[in-house]
Amino acid sequence: MNHAAANAVGNKSEITDSEFVRFRDFFYRKTGIRFDDNKRYFVDKRLLDRMEKTNHESFRSYFTELRFQASGEELQQLINAMTVNETYFFREEYQLECMVESVLDEIVRLKGKNKTIRIWSIPSSTGEEPYSIALYLLEKWPMIDEVDVEIISSDIDTKVLERCRQGIYNERSVHNLPKDLLNRYFKPTSGGKFYQINQDLRESIDFTKVNLADPVQTRPYRDFDLIFCRNLLIYFDDASRRQAADVFFDALNPGGYIFLGHSESMSRISSLYKVRKFPKAISYQKPFV
Amino acid sequence: MALKKTTEPQRIADQEKRHETRDYDGLVKELTAESINERRWAARDLAAYPQAVPVLLQALRDEQELVVQKAMLDALEAIGGEPVVTGLIPLLRSEQAALRNGVIEALASMPEAVALHIIELLNDQDSDVRIFAIDILQLLAHPDTPKWLLSVLKDETHINVVAAAVDRLAEVGTPEMVEEILSLKQRFPDEPYLHFAVDTAVQRIRGD
Repeated sequence: MNHAAANAVGNKSEITDSEFVRFRDFFYRKTGIRFDDNKRYFVDKRLLDRMEKTNHESFRSYFTELRFQASGEELQQLINAMTVNETYFFREEYQLECMVESVLDEIVRLKGKNKTIRIWSIPSSTGEEPYSIALYLLEKWPMIDEVDVEIISSDIDTKVLERCRQGIYNERSVHNLPKDLLNRYFKPTSGGKFYQINQDLRESIDFTKVNLADPVQTRPYRDFDLIFCRNLLIYFDDASRRQAADVFFDALNPGGYIFLGHSESMSRISSLYKVRKFPKAISYQKPFV
Repeated sequence: MALKKTTEPQRIADQEKRHETRDYDGLVKELTAESINERRWAARDLAAYPQAVPVLLQALRDEQELVVQKAMLDALEAIGGEPVVTGLIPLLRSEQAALRNGVIEALASMPEAVALHIIELLNDQDSDVRIFAIDILQLLAHPDTPKWLLSVLKDETHINVVAAAVDRLAEVGTPEMVEEILSLKQRFPDEPYLHFAVDTAVQRIRGD
């Protein structure tokens, strides 16, 4: 039976099963995001919305623009619509668990306890990720008492960097944090509607501005043992994604690791990295030679 | 021991200690340095010099290390343009699969310059090169892509090349191409794999 989505924007068009499959395969090839049939309504709704905004009355003509537009602008708009751009403490927590249960121990074995471990979190966005890394290290990694760790967190946007330094978050941002961590590391502000992370933590992370596309800016970022770059590359075009993968490769020490977002795969971007499967998550490793 | 705010957030690694000046001449010289790292960084930095295209292409032909090849391809891609495309095309015949794949990706990122060469690539003597041309078309953001793929159905005799084109047409084909695609079943009556690919493509294109 032909499943045609109810048109959310005025019955001008609909997406047929075959068109859905055609779009799904294309979108997967471009982004690594695959939509199962149970996401049909979600996908159709956004496709129809973009079709209306770009004045296309049929899927066919919209898809032609999407597929052949040299600037890739519409594809970018659609990616924005199809992805959830949100950040909160302990998001994709399984990777943080992997960090403290597998990756860091391996790095210490490699470097020795007397060497500082360097972690780069990019993009910092408003700071939830780098502070989550810091909290996880303090709370869940026993070796934090024996090893020095530096966390550097970067973003292209100076406004969000300022928010990182202030470390003030709303309830939605901290909803995933265990209560005892919230009580111990945060202080309620603005009548309890917001929470500010404590000064020690705010001062433990270095927030820097960097544009990944600028080789002069990225050049000094070196000697990292672990990089978190989650849900950023999805917004880049193919060439920029390859360029970013190269920047990370040069920023990592041999044997260093990078975590990407759950829908991203380094294997689809660069052949320079080795896939490492740990019990809790997959990471990508820069080879030793 | 604990979290430690670095006083030196950005580091220049030891390997950065310069053996050559990092002007154009120094970078070109470093392209043949013994250290893989030096060659890779030289290639990356040469992306800022459009006049580096011939030396980067020559170095790419001589280079055996994948990590350096990747940096050279990125630099050439960043510079872009017709001389880069013309210089990369012969590398589609490389024996190194990783290099060929890198070349395909780089070429696909330069649609206007590549468009001038697509017909010649689709008519190359070597069927592998013809398939690589179709791989480029799969990634290429150029409005003539469906037309070029259709031309493969009309003229091509190698089953693998035809099958690759049909597979790509499943994504970008249009209804007026259906008849041409279906006619392949008569041209290749004993190739069930191709028949399956044809049926899939037609179904997708018609939007059944």
